Amino acid sequence: MREHNKAALWLLAALAAWEIAGRTTPTVRDVIATPSLILAQYLSDGGLYLPHLAATIRSASIGFLFGNSIAIIAAILFCRVPAGASAFRGVNIALFAMPAIVVGPVLAIIFSDNLPQVILAALVVYFPTMAATLVGLRDIDPRLPDVIRTYGGGKNAILRFVRLRSALPAILAGLRTAAPLSVLGAILGEFGSGVRWGLGSFLLGSLGDADPARLLGIGFAATAVALTGYGVFAWIGRRTVGATMAVTIAADRSPDTIGADEKYSWGKRSALMIVAVALPFLLWWLILRVFELSPIIAPGPVETLRYLLVGPSGAEACAALIAALGQTLPLAGLGLICGIGAAFAAASLTVLRPAAANAILPVAMLLQSMPLVALVPLVLLVFGRDTAATLVMAVLVVFFPAYVTLAQGFALVPGAARELVQVYGGSRTKELLLVSVPYAASYLFAAAKLVAPRALLGVMVAEWLLSGKGLGNLLNASRGLLNYDMVWAGALVSILISVAAYEAVSLLERLF
Amino acid sequence: MVAKWPPEGGRYKKALVVSSFKDPYAHEPADLSIEGVSKTFRARGRSVLALASVTLKIRRGSFVSLIGPSGCGKSTLLRLVAGLETPDEGTVLIRNESPHSFRARGELGIAFQDPALLPWRSVRRNVALPLQVLGKNVNAHRQRIDALIELVGLTGYADALPGQLSGGMRQRVAIARALVTDPSVLLLDEPFGALDQILRRSMNQELQRIWTARPTTALMVTHSIDEAAFLADEVVVMNAEPGRIVQTIPIPFPRPRTPGLFAAAEFHAVCDRLAAALDPGGVR
Repeated sequence: MREHNKAALWLLAALAAWEIAGRTTPTVRDVIATPSLILAQYLSDGGLYLPHLAATIRSASIGFLFGNSIAIIAAILFCRVPAGASAFRGVNIALFAMPAIVVGPVLAIIFSDNLPQVILAALVVYFPTMAATLVGLRDIDPRLPDVIRTYGGGKNAILRFVRLRSALPAILAGLRTAAPLSVLGAILGEFGSGVRWGLGSFLLGSLGDADPARLLGIGFAATAVALTGYGVFAWIGRRTVGATMAVTIAADRSPDTIGADEKYSWGKRSALMIVAVALPFLLWWLILRVFELSPIIAPGPVETLRYLLVGPSGAEACAALIAALGQTLPLAGLGLICGIGAAFAAASLTVLRPAAANAILPVAMLLQSMPLVALVPLVLLVFGRDTAATLVMAVLVVFFPAYVTLAQGFALVPGAARELVQVYGGSRTKELLLVSVPYAASYLFAAAKLVAPRALLGVMVAEWLLSGKGLGNLLNASRGLLNYDMVWAGALVSILISVAAYEAVSLLERLF
Repeated sequence: MVAKWPPEGGRYKKALVVSSFKDPYAHEPADLSIEGVSKTFRARGRSVLALASVTLKIRRGSFVSLIGPSGCGKSTLLRLVAGLETPDEGTVLIRNESPHSFRARGELGIAFQDPALLPWRSVRRNVALPLQVLGKNVNAHRQRIDALIELVGLTGYADALPGQLSGGMRQRVAIARALVTDPSVLLLDEPFGALDQILRRSMNQELQRIWTARPTTALMVTHSIDEAAFLADEVVVMNAEPGRIVQTIPIPFPRPRTPGLFAAAEFHAVCDRLAAALDPGGVR
């Protein structure tokens, strides 16, 4: 409770400092307004907010419900049939790594009204909940299955008596991560579908005026909705599970932990790998079949590849994509490296000041749950629409999750190893260099896998909304020009690049 | 030391190892029969012969301890009897049945070093778990569950959660759970391995009391020489690489055995014999 009070005091102090700075310095006021100006804007925009908020919350909640239900059922099936988890590896990685913003326009082609936002919200919550649930179902006291089997119980009895209840804290942790993501998914879906109502639409419509008080107001509103969702599930978790559960990477496990550890023969493993690669494309084809969509607006995998590879139109499309990627990828890579580097530096410095680390971690945990579109107003107002703004966006979306992962890595350095340095009179700095940094370096890969797809998403969101360059803009423009083939091809290419980045980090991790 | 056969009171307490010495009662039916069992484990390209052609017969109603260094296959042997592992070679029979069909009737009770309780269930509901897995009506057995909780000395804790109990109390819950189906064979895998020496001795007392009150054929794996000797009618000494039975040593002391036994010279002599069997090359 005292921690809460302290945090509230810091927040109030920060708001007061902002207000004073804004009132005394006009340049500050013109760029980031002041809390009182934002409040005044809320009061005058009051009537506008309600329908926008209601639309976003509605899409996010329905998507949350469906996405998480499917995620929990999928996790139970993957646990029960490990080969299924291997077969669905491609689908799971694609859902984990996909830059959600590229999926919105595709969904808007297939579905109408609010369905694209709802489905995108469901798609973005699927992976964290599925991963957390599966880990919870698998990480059980290894003796318990023996007890059940000794009384003739099979896998179903183990699931019923042990796994489901054991997984409850992990499921709640997954839902806690999923709640703010569903808001992000709904907002990104609004960008793609171009609906009238929703916080995303509100933001899109307000970017042109660049009124700092309104833009920041929208950013705060989106953050508040997302963090409320986080808070509700954090509260439910504490109430139902009792003991404060470790807030770990568990909720954001990368897809590596999902693959089954079963020992398959070489042949079976290869077969599962082929299925894993083919399944996402098969599902793509199947969905188009089920909804009986015309190949003109909704090309399948084969048509999309043909569009990219065949004839002069293919060469043209490839050239456009390559030009866009030439702008997007360097920024994403640079943002990724800077973000992780800054996070590692910040996390290692907190080793020198453990008290500061304890204070910062909860704040970082909250900020990593902040929907990244809520950062757009701030970035626009401070950095404008240049390349710098795009880079800042990428660094910001990378920094917080990377920091949380790395800080946990530093926290897991064995106390005895650190005390060993102290016993020989080593300073905190020496302890950091000799023990903590080498130890926590292994968490760099975990952090990189987690945030590599986010870096791409951050850059594309900035390109879409601010800079008008790169892949993000290409997709936005193609959507406006009704160039359906390019929308699908662009989505495919960005997902493939994201998955490739993820796999590349995994490969590096295995090599080291 | 040759026991009278059948002993007074009609209970058969005798463990025989057919392979290592001639037993005059080898023709008597065994409760538990392990014949020529081999088991190999493969891990990271290495294969370890956990059990090499092990034969062991255990009479109904006897208490047998398995003792030996790490990796001698004693836990594997116990898991084979529980049907948790299947042998590569040889057969495991409990009263002429496979472990799988025997355990499906709830005739097998098991307790591990880690009590392996469900942390969200009260003591009573933890004890009831085997009945639920067997698909029996738990409410119909409520009285025997409470009687068992009393037998293991946890009266008043029936509604407590495992997290509220001490290590020794949790271990008692595990033993009550192992007894709830009224098993005819009780398997104990280092049940007190995680407890300190003082607690362990009093738990040994307790186990003897419980076992005398509800006689079963008991097979216990342990690391502790004096625990093995205090509780068992016969101690089976095993050795590693490959896992095999070295010797079977009968423990002649009458029951009930009291804590005073730990101090008796005869007891120490038996423990020395066990230690010598465990480490034949050692300086004694």
